[in-house]
Order: sequence, then structure tokens, then C-alpha cells
Amino acid sequence: MKHGWLGFKAIVAKDIVVELRAKQVLPTMFVLGLLIVFILRLAAESMPTGAGMPIMGAAALWIAFLFSGMLMQERSFATEKEDGCMDGLLLAPLDAGTIYLAKLCANVVMLSIFEAAVVPLVLLSFGLSIDGRWLEFVAVLVLGNLGISSLGTLFSAAVQVSRSQGSLLSIVVLVVLMPMMTPALFALLVLFGALPEEVAGFGSLAFVGSFKAALGYMIAFDAVFSVACWLLFGVILQE
Amino acid sequence: MVAETHSPAVQVNSVSKAFGARPVLKGVSLAATRGEAVCLCGVNGAGKSTLLQIISGLLRPDRGSVDVGGHNTADHPGQFKRQLGMISHKSMVYPELTVTENLNFVARLYGVTNRAARIDELLARTGLTAFSYDRAAILSRGLLQRLAIARALLHEPSVLLADEPFAGLDGSAVEYVLSVFADFVASGGTLLTTTHDTRLGLRCCSRVAVLDAGAILLDRPKEQVDSERFIEDYLSYARSGS
Amino acid sequence: MRRFLLIGALGLLIASTWLGLTIGAITPVQRNVLYVHVPNSVCALLSFVVLLVASIAYLATSKPLWDLIAAACAEVGVLLASILNGTGMIFSRAEWNTWWTPSPRLVSSAMLWFLYVVYLILRISLPGAPRQRARICAVFGIIAFLDVPMVYISARFIPADVHPPNFSFDTGWQTAALMLGMLGTALLAGALIWLRTDLLLRRQRLEEELLQE
Repeated sequence: MKHGWLGFKAIVAKDIVVELRAKQVLPTMFVLGLLIVFILRLAAESMPTGAGMPIMGAAALWIAFLFSGMLMQERSFATEKEDGCMDGLLLAPLDAGTIYLAKLCANVVMLSIFEAAVVPLVLLSFGLSIDGRWLEFVAVLVLGNLGISSLGTLFSAAVQVSRSQGSLLSIVVLVVLMPMMTPALFALLVLFGALPEEVAGFGSLAFVGSFKAALGYMIAFDAVFSVACWLLFGVILQE
Repeated sequence: MVAETHSPAVQVNSVSKAFGARPVLKGVSLAATRGEAVCLCGVNGAGKSTLLQIISGLLRPDRGSVDVGGHNTADHPGQFKRQLGMISHKSMVYPELTVTENLNFVARLYGVTNRAARIDELLARTGLTAFSYDRAAILSRGLLQRLAIARALLHEPSVLLADEPFAGLDGSAVEYVLSVFADFVASGGTLLTTTHDTRLGLRCCSRVAVLDAGAILLDRPKEQVDSERFIEDYLSYARSGS
Repeated sequence: MRRFLLIGALGLLIASTWLGLTIGAITPVQRNVLYVHVPNSVCALLSFVVLLVASIAYLATSKPLWDLIAAACAEVGVLLASILNGTGMIFSRAEWNTWWTPSPRLVSSAMLWFLYVVYLILRISLPGAPRQRARICAVFGIIAFLDVPMVYISARFIPADVHPPNFSFDTGWQTAALMLGMLGTALLAGALIWLRTDLLLRRQRLEEELLQE
């Protein structure tokens, strides 16, 4: 157990150090995020009043996180493959679950760095305020981050071991994440003041119901997917 | 303890493996004891690398089993992995990290105690001390191979698998690798190398095995092998069965 | 056996259609599409349940047959889900004057379709060893199904929706027509999955034989 923890820390630290030195991904991610925000900001100009800004802002945030996140996760196992390092990890006496958790942790940290840079930019450029609810805002971002990373980490390993194209990763992750995007959007819209705390009616947003329920859904998705991915990771790595 | 000294360090029991419809190994059995160095010779595609990968646990056999240090590789992945070091075609090091950082990373993966001292010791043994702060990306082929060897020996394995360890190395680098292997075997380790260079193979082993088309053609101690004929044409030597 | 299954399915579907269009007809007339819509909805879900079971069975046993069953289920399930969404859109246009609206049930049906379309894309996009592809697809099959209870089934149980939980099939004839449709679609789906599995199996054997020559 203690040794597993040592291996976990080693992989997380290694991933972050390698990325900071190689600068393979963070700059690209950042520019992609900027471009997405920029284009959606241009589109938001067509709205007659400022009322649409929170909607476009929330969409910009999630789209930027999703696509930049997948850009990064795709590299996450590609770097291991290049010099046979993946074999090195598999030869070590670590169980697959530990490797998964370490990779997940490194990916969450890297996506958080990205979020920290892009979120203020979105808030400023779309003129959004969150009315002092920083804690809830960060919670929503972290929950979204964990969801994107847990699935992205598992399937980037799958894409990597099967030597298929990285573009496959985006549809596989997006389609599984799709149900989580409704509560995720709901939560941001409430925080940005575009939706009341509780929504009644017939639509998908009313199905989510309230801000608390949205957080609950996100927690449930994160819990189910991270546990499932953790358990199934070993299957992906065989051979 | 008695059982441990008698049981072979590596035992391969009639292992078969096919990739899709193409059989690569057809019921291969092989055993090696402590302090023994076995050289697997064979042409490209004979199944040498596949056999080593199965022993290392990276590949699973379709049929048959492998024991390393008395642990079945399928049942006790935790125990046998600690006893095993591997040098493969690829260096398994991160080019962005320095030599020391790479070794430290591996030491933490294996939970090696007293890491700094152990790393210094291996750097000295493989002659990499002068390069310890260089990034792996700028190392030459020979130095990279030394790093791969240091990486494989870091956790003091009892079995070392080396897949084509001499490929792409110049004369002095080859001598270096040979001397490290000799030390390892002398200290009671079990070495399994693959090569298609029979001259080098004979120099580093105490037993030779010839693998051809997925089956062992010949497996005998080096003293019983006519080394001149073997080096000249090991395949027909093995086929003649003399 | 399969021939009887197919003929039986065809007979049941014809009987269901005939009943539904005569004594079991629902007014207004566009609601009769429900005789196709509802059975396809149920059978699509059933196919994906079988896909899940086959995926788990593959991971547990590594028998290639399970992988082929999962593949067949995905193909047939996507077909049924396409009919489900297509008839749903027709119904929606006739009933509510819009082709599509993001109500939970419609969203969840669309998501179900997307999930298994991606499963099929994953199958054709993964190169390399068949066993590896089978394992990755099985993992995706399990993960994708985790979405189903969270979205598809929960959306069936909410009270308020433009799409009511059950359109009342008032008379006995209407219920009979629906049940015949249900059974017919289920038999058809089963027969198609069986045929497709068999075809995939034969193709795999043929490929192996050709490669071994």
C-alpha cells in the first residue's frame, strides 16, 4: 500500500515535470481554448441585449474545457508510448488501478492549470459576474474537470494501445460525457444569473431541477465514471 | 529454502502464442537456474522477442504458463515483477528527464529503499556518473543502452531479460555490456538474452537455445556446442541435431 | 429455426399493423405510429442490455463469440433506435408541431442513439489485434451503458414532460395490437442479432482460413 502511494506520486510528479519541460501540450491547449472563447464571443455579439452573454459564456467554458482537455489527454499516453515507457510502467509492480489514478491526477492538475487561465478570461470578455459564489463556482469547475479527465484518461489509453487515430478519442469521450453536460451547463447558468435557483417546466433544464440537484448529478456522474474507469483500466492495458 | 535453490529461476512450460491466425510460439519450454546465462538465437520473426515479452508478463500466453522465481506470472504479478529486470528494443526512459531523474522515477515505482545510494552505485557501475545531470534526450545510443541497463538492474532483480542488447552498439559499448552481464551472472543472477549475433551470444552465455519458427530446435550447455560450426551457421547446426 | 423466427415476427407485425389500423385504430390518426414507436423503444433498450451482458461476458471469458454478439446487438440496436427516433420525430411533428424539442425523453433517446453509433464507429476504427479491439469495445459497451440508467431510464419516470409516460391504449384491441407489435419486434430483433452474429462468425472463420493458407 505504502509502496503503491510512492509509485502514484512518482508518476504524477513525472507527468507534470515532463510537460513543464517539453511544453508539448499546455501552450497548444491554451491557444485552442482562447480561439474557442474568441469565436463564441464574436457570435455573442449578435445577441440584441446582454441577456445571452451568460449562455454563450457557459457554453464557451465547457466547450473549451472539453476540447482542450481531450487534446491534453491524448498526449498523456502518447508520451509513454514513444520510448517504450508504457512497458516500463507495466513491468513495475504497480497495479493498473494505481497507474490510472496517477495519470488521472496528473490530467486533472493540468486541466486545472488551463482552467485557471481561461476562466478569468471568459468572465471578463463576456462580462459575467458570479455574485461572490466562488466556492460553488470552483466546485462546478472541478467536478466538470474530473468527469472529463476520468473518461479521457481511460480512453486515451485505449486509443494509444490500439494505435488508432486521436480523433477517435473526442467522439468516444464526448458521447459518454454528454449526459453530464446538461447539469454542468445548468449549474454555470445559475451561477451566471441566467437561470433561477430552481427551474420548473418540461425541458431538459427543468429535468435537472435545481442548482443543488445539478451538483448532485455531477457528483454522481464523476463517482460512477471514475470508479468504473479505475476498475476497467487494467482490461485496456492487457497486451 | 531447499525448494527455492532447486527450483529454476525461470521456467517456461509449453507456452503457445498466436497473433491472430499466425502462430508465433508453438509449445515452447525452457528453464534457467540461478547463475545461468541462456542465449536465445534465432532469425528475425522466430519468436524470440515474443518469448521474452511473455516471460516478462507484458504478453499473455495463449496456452502454457511461466514461473519466475517460483511465482506463476499470471497468478502473482506483484511478486514476480520485483524479481525481473528487462532491457528491450526501446530504452524505456523519458527524454525530458535527466539520467538521475529517470533512475529515481524507476526506483520509486519499485519502492527501492535507500534510493540515492543505490542510484549512485549503479551510475558508477554503468559509467554514467559524468552524465547524471544530462537529459536522456542528448545521450548517444551506447550511453542510452547503459542507462537502460542501469534502469533494469536498479531494483536488484534476480532475473534479467535482455532483448537484442547489442543492437546498434559499437565495439567498446559491447564489451561494457558484456562485463555488466558477467557481473550480474557471477552474483547469482539469471540472464536471458536474445540475439542473432551468435558470436556475441556465445560469449555472454553458459547455455544456448535456438528458436526457429516458434519452436526450440536446440537447447544445450555451451561446452557441448561446437562453437565454430555454431557461429558459422547455427540454424543448420541446430537442425542437424548433432 | 431462424426461418420460423423471421416468419413469426413478420406475421406478428402484420397482425399488429392490421389490428392497429382497423379495430385498434387510435384517433387522431398520427398516433398510430406509436404501434411502431413503442415496441422499437423497448427492443432498442433490450438490445443494449444484451450488449452489456455480452460485453461483461467477453471480459470474463475472452470468448470471441461474446464480442460478435455484442457487435450484432449494437448494429440491430442502432437500427431500432433509429426507427425509434424517426417515428418519434414524425409523431412529434404531427402532435406538437415541432420535429424535435429538448425534452428529457427526446434528449435521452437521442443520446442512446449517439452512444451506440459511437460504439459502431469505435469498432470499425480500431485497427490491430481483434482481441484488443474486442476488449476496448467491451469496456466502452460497459461504460456507455452506465449512461443508460442515469439518463434513459430516469427520464422515463419523471411525471412532467411533453412526452407523457404512457399514451393510453384504451381498448383491449389497442393493447393487443401493441403487445403483438412488441412481440413481433422482439422476435425480429432477436432473429437479426442471431443472423448477424452468425454472419460475423463465419466471416471471421473465413478470414482465419484465408490467412492460414
